Amino acid sequence: MYGRKACQLVKELTTGEKGQLMPFNSDLFDQVIAECGQHYFEIQSLTRKMEEEGLDIETTKNEDHYGSLIHHLSLVRNKRCLMAYLYNRAEILRNLTWKVGPVLPQEIQEKLSHLEEDYFKKHSASLKSYMSKLDLDLAVDMVPPKDPYIQVRVLDDIGDGIVLSDDKTANFAPHSMHFLKRTDAEQFISRGLMEELTG
Amino acid sequence: MANYYDLDDIIAEEERVSVVFRKAVNGVGIDASAETDCVEIDSKVELPFWLAHELYLRKVVKLKVPTCFNQKTRLELGADAACVDLRSRCPYFYEFGCKIARLFNSCEPETRVEGRDLGSFLLSAFENRYKEVLAKAHSAAFAAASKCFTLLTKEETTMYEAAQSSMAAFKKWRMGGPRFQKASILGRKRKPTD
Repeated sequence: MYGRKACQLVKELTTGEKGQLMPFNSDLFDQVIAECGQHYFEIQSLTRKMEEEGLDIETTKNEDHYGSLIHHLSLVRNKRCLMAYLYNRAEILRNLTWKVGPVLPQEIQEKLSHLEEDYFKKHSASLKSYMSKLDLDLAVDMVPPKDPYIQVRVLDDIGDGIVLSDDKTANFAPHSMHFLKRTDAEQFISRGLMEELTG
Repeated sequence: MANYYDLDDIIAEEERVSVVFRKAVNGVGIDASAETDCVEIDSKVELPFWLAHELYLRKVVKLKVPTCFNQKTRLELGADAACVDLRSRCPYFYEFGCKIARLFNSCEPETRVEGRDLGSFLLSAFENRYKEVLAKAHSAAFAAASKCFTLLTKEETTMYEAAQSSMAAFKKWRMGGPRFQKASILGRKRKPTD
């Protein structure tokens, strides 16, 4: 049946957990596009057939007309499914910019298509330039902190020589513990490279 | 018209409808029983709603009432609405019903009789189930709720989850301490400066 693959593609988006990204299904995506090409080809050949029979394409309502109508409707439907697939993924990506920051972890990066990677980079770049114009970091935690300093443990290799806001460098070796300014630690925590120690 | 990019709307429109063709159609592979790429007059085909809808508006097909809105389902829902498994019949029962109910008003006489009161039927089904869903979401523990949870349609599931989270938020508000807490840094005594 026409449009079934496109619907599968859309269903795939709803099966995952909300706000989670599935790998970009370029295989199915390409198949739907090929199906669109097939519909277009059928419309053309039906129209050509009507022309050869000397019929007026705009007014004739014969079986060929309804055939090309069905192909046209299927084409429009496939388009809607493809657009919705891309649009909803782009929405998740935009949300990720706020939650994770400008650098995506490897496991999410792998799920994107090349175009989406590009989109993500450009989107975070324009957000960054907006925030620097405002001179305000809009991505910080909405809940006011109780203490400007927090205790953190480094989970992953971050590397040394990272300059903090008070112009000191720190050596974030794995499993080392630090007492940092909250604003310095936040970006590392959101990327999963550090964890906050409580209690 | 729902949002063009709305995923649920797209999936709801994929539900099947039986139609009878009033016109012959050439060059399409939608009739699985036909050997050639043609559909003949009076052949019965199952089409997805998005296609059936447009063809119906152009008077190419006649619509039949889909099985999930047939007399049997109506009787079951009339007997005890809350116990009917709507998810297996049609996960988008209400959305699909609303879409198709609009079409039945302008249908042929024989279908109109069957599909005439679909709108009010959907409303009463929702009302009767709504009470049960809400009561269960507010009171039942997770283990007990999982059984009736499988009977719900997509929309009811969303409602159920919303009811549960609002109940959890209410409990937290009632039990929890003060909403605003003094920042711990203010509580510390200052060292005398002199």
